[in-house]
Amino acid sequence: MAGLTEYVILSAILFGLGAIGFLTRRNALIMFMCIELMLNAVNLSLVAFAHFRVDLSGQVLVLFIFAVAAAEVAVGLAILIALFRHVKDVDITEYNLLKW
Amino acid sequence: MDLQYSFSLAKLWSICGAQVIMLLSGLVLLFVEIFYKGKSPERRLSTIGWLTTIAMALALGHVCNKEWNLDEVVFMGAFSMEKFSAFLVAVVLMAGIMASILSIGYLKNNKIYRTEYFLLLAFAVYGTIAFVQAVDLLMIFITLEIMSLGIYCLAAFLRDDRLSLEGSLKYFLIGSFGSAFLLFGIVLIYGFTGEINLTKISSVLARAPFQHPMVLVALAMIMVGLMFKISMVPFHMWAPDVYEGSPSVVTGFMATAVKAAAIGVFIKVMAVGFGPVLSLSGQPEFYANALLGALGAYWKPILWWISLLTMFFGNLIAVNQRNVKRMLAYSSIAHAGYMTLGILASNDMGRMGVLFYLFAYTIMNIGAFGVIYCLDGQERHAQTLEDYRGLGYKYPGLSFLISLFLVAMAGLPPTAGFIGKFYVFAAAIRSGYLLLAALGILTSVIGAYYYLRVVYMLYMKDPVREISIPGVSVSTAVILIAAALAVIYLGILPQGLTDVADAAQKTLSLVF
Repeated sequence: MAGLTEYVILSAILFGLGAIGFLTRRNALIMFMCIELMLNAVNLSLVAFAHFRVDLSGQVLVLFIFAVAAAEVAVGLAILIALFRHVKDVDITEYNLLKW
Repeated sequence: MDLQYSFSLAKLWSICGAQVIMLLSGLVLLFVEIFYKGKSPERRLSTIGWLTTIAMALALGHVCNKEWNLDEVVFMGAFSMEKFSAFLVAVVLMAGIMASILSIGYLKNNKIYRTEYFLLLAFAVYGTIAFVQAVDLLMIFITLEIMSLGIYCLAAFLRDDRLSLEGSLKYFLIGSFGSAFLLFGIVLIYGFTGEINLTKISSVLARAPFQHPMVLVALAMIMVGLMFKISMVPFHMWAPDVYEGSPSVVTGFMATAVKAAAIGVFIKVMAVGFGPVLSLSGQPEFYANALLGALGAYWKPILWWISLLTMFFGNLIAVNQRNVKRMLAYSSIAHAGYMTLGILASNDMGRMGVLFYLFAYTIMNIGAFGVIYCLDGQERHAQTLEDYRGLGYKYPGLSFLISLFLVAMAGLPPTAGFIGKFYVFAAAIRSGYLLLAALGILTSVIGAYYYLRVVYMLYMKDPVREISIPGVSVSTAVILIAAALAVIYLGILPQGLTDVADAAQKTLSLVF
């Protein structure tokens, strides 16, 4: 059975993948997904910590993070759709009217 | 200290009264917005706007009368109320009141009659004051998101304007990225200590090997998450775009309230969760906490560089801007750098100076953005330096006001901006950061150049094109004049506010 360290390493790897994806991909939707990946990596380590500490509060916190992530996506997609009406593209390099 | 987590309505009211008022009024306004039709869209807009303002004024009254007079730190699970929080809550509510009154005029100018604006503002203010009061790391994350979601929507409020949406999307993406870092840091700390309450974290950490890499990584990630919100270099990339794209009044609100809240929480997290401000209180467990000061060896050098970069970068790039809103965005990055100096000093004068600075900065910044919306007429109609040429003689009142606010931001006496900068730099020198303070003063000289350039454009140049603005409403004029008077008053007689700010920061060291 995997120990706590393995879980934390796995979640750190997932978090890192999410962060790298966020920084390198140019598609706004994929960037959303990368943020979700980061949040869920955090959830994984939270569940692991709560399990190994035998502390129920950690498990409860995961639900709060789910709720926040869902609310975040709702707002983010709404903004993206509103912007898509103007630009007709989800490539963030096209959103270039504001710079320097 | 004995942490009582008992619950009673009376306690809820005395600790979180302002939050309760904002949340309930937001929900009530939701129904008012649905069922109240009003005689004309303009009437409806101003009714809802004024109701929001009244709710915030009630909350502010509650904070000043009741919560300020609690002479102890009161906990209720996730929230605490002591003078430090009360001060910041008051600053946020003040920013909210100014923003909502200015918004009525702004929305009428732009012929936008969608009243959900004020609901979003009310909920954003609710999230911001809950964020300031939170002592529980998870609650810090959740309220940060409540605040940010409201602000993302407000930033995108000009639905037909591509720049507004573009700024908002950038803010959303980078903001969520930053808060994911904050969350990971929180979870690592939870994993190490088994606690998420700041006070308990510090007492657990003080007895543990707190220089463990996991704690350091967690500390770094929490700092990064908050720095995204404060817009410190190198986590500032979103700020100029968002400040330029958003409606001017929203820009004013997020440049002040959000930044004030994030800096307050930054101080709280560093001082209460990871720091030794507690040596004064005389209780044995707090002496152990003094050891936590060793963590300062890790975060202080980093903050030193970040403070320096923030001041230099903000001021240097601002020189190159033609758009006044964007210039003020870079200037607000620079102001964050000055405030970082006060955090870095981490002595009584530094924390007091930061609180004073935040108060003064809030007034002058919202005032400046208020004038910008007035001179603009419709959004993006006239907001470049070229548009401002020669306006000084055509609109003497507004030009005088914006000149005053800009002079205050440049930190020239006798304005509140000067006093704020004075305390922050003095605190840094007292803590031995002489070089950083000297470089900071150098950057603020650069700052004076681009602030005064706007004044120069207003009065010394001939206009290149005709700018005509709609009349300024009475309420807007009252707010702007009140802000101007406050800036001058605090510059001449700062004693009252410095005493209040000092009392506020003392509660951090005495009672936690």
